[in-house]
Amino acid sequence: MAKGESPLKQFEIQPIVDINFLGFDISFTNSALWMTITTAFILIFFTVPFLKAKKTNSVSDLYPTRMQVAAELGFNFINSLLADTVGKEGKKYFPLVFTLFMFILFGNLFGMIPYSFTFTSHIIVTLALAMGVFIFVTVLGFVKHGVKFFGFFVIPGLPVYMLPLLIPIEIISYLSRPISLSVRLFANMLAGHTLLKVFAGFVSALGFFGILPLVFIIALTGLEILIAFLQAYVFAILTCLYINDALHLH
Amino acid sequence: MPQLEQVEFFVSQLFWLGVFFVILFSVLTYITLPKIRAFLNKRDVFVRSHISKQDELIKKAESIIENYEAKLTEAKNQASQIINDAKDKALHESERLLKATEEKIQQEIKLTESRVQKEKEDALSELNNQLKDSATDFISKVTNIEKGNINL
Repeated sequence: MAKGESPLKQFEIQPIVDINFLGFDISFTNSALWMTITTAFILIFFTVPFLKAKKTNSVSDLYPTRMQVAAELGFNFINSLLADTVGKEGKKYFPLVFTLFMFILFGNLFGMIPYSFTFTSHIIVTLALAMGVFIFVTVLGFVKHGVKFFGFFVIPGLPVYMLPLLIPIEIISYLSRPISLSVRLFANMLAGHTLLKVFAGFVSALGFFGILPLVFIIALTGLEILIAFLQAYVFAILTCLYINDALHLH
Repeated sequence: MPQLEQVEFFVSQLFWLGVFFVILFSVLTYITLPKIRAFLNKRDVFVRSHISKQDELIKKAESIIENYEAKLTEAKNQASQIINDAKDKALHESERLLKATEEKIQQEIKLTESRVQKEKEDALSELNNQLKDSATDFISKVTNIEKGNINL
């Protein structure tokens, strides 16, 4: 702002390595870089503490290290989330929900690092994730129930004359799931980061009184970290609920 | 807004998202999560086995305590029995001694009484004899009758 920079400039994609494959531009960009960092971090964070797990059964091997406790925390968090929403059948889908949650969570959190890039603030990324979830649960529903899956759009116990009105509503609400899922995450990230940058512009513009927006930014950063977690959680829990819907219909 | 303007990078973003999501998903599914699960299971099994062991030990301890308490009450009963016996014995003994002593004393009293009686009688008879003698003396002196002829 002070230098005439738009608060939206942080969302700009900048190619690092230009790659062209069969006429498609698949350049390695800053977005891809932060996806790499996120993926690498998650894999290291959750795998390395358990690599040294010994085969013996002595008690000392069963005491988790600090890193193991931290990794277990994430594991158990998703485990209970899935158990609470889907139940025992949900165990099969644990890796999917775990991957989604961690990918989004650390994507959001790493986006809070100054000069980093938040790949979850791009609608194309969140939409792709949401469409993936949407297609997965729809296919899952058809595989589990066949044609009966269409019964999902019929709310049980409703008078017949209401059905012509409510079935289209149900279908629209079902089809809008990926949109709401993706826009929720994208908009939260976009708004939060934009707000931070706008206020950061005030800090330099106001001179001495810039301390006030600075204090505000500190508080807002805390809130943004909360939102980073919350949005990953919302994405994961909605995925769980959609899986539950596909498995149990109503 | 770059999100909607930089359409030329959509394919790139989708491609790398796909690549990294698949890598992350595969590694997590086939390596990381089974490892964590195995670790947690191992600890779970260990803890569970120890809990069952603990239950066993608690039962054992309870039975030992019961045994001990039973033995303790038995010993207490025995002790009180012994004490009561000893008390009884002592009481009997003292009563017996008391009685014996009393009897001895009674006997002594009786003996003494009879001796006193006898002495009294002796003394009386001697007094009587002396009185008789002196009376005889007095009479013989007064009457000049020989002592042998006076019979009182």
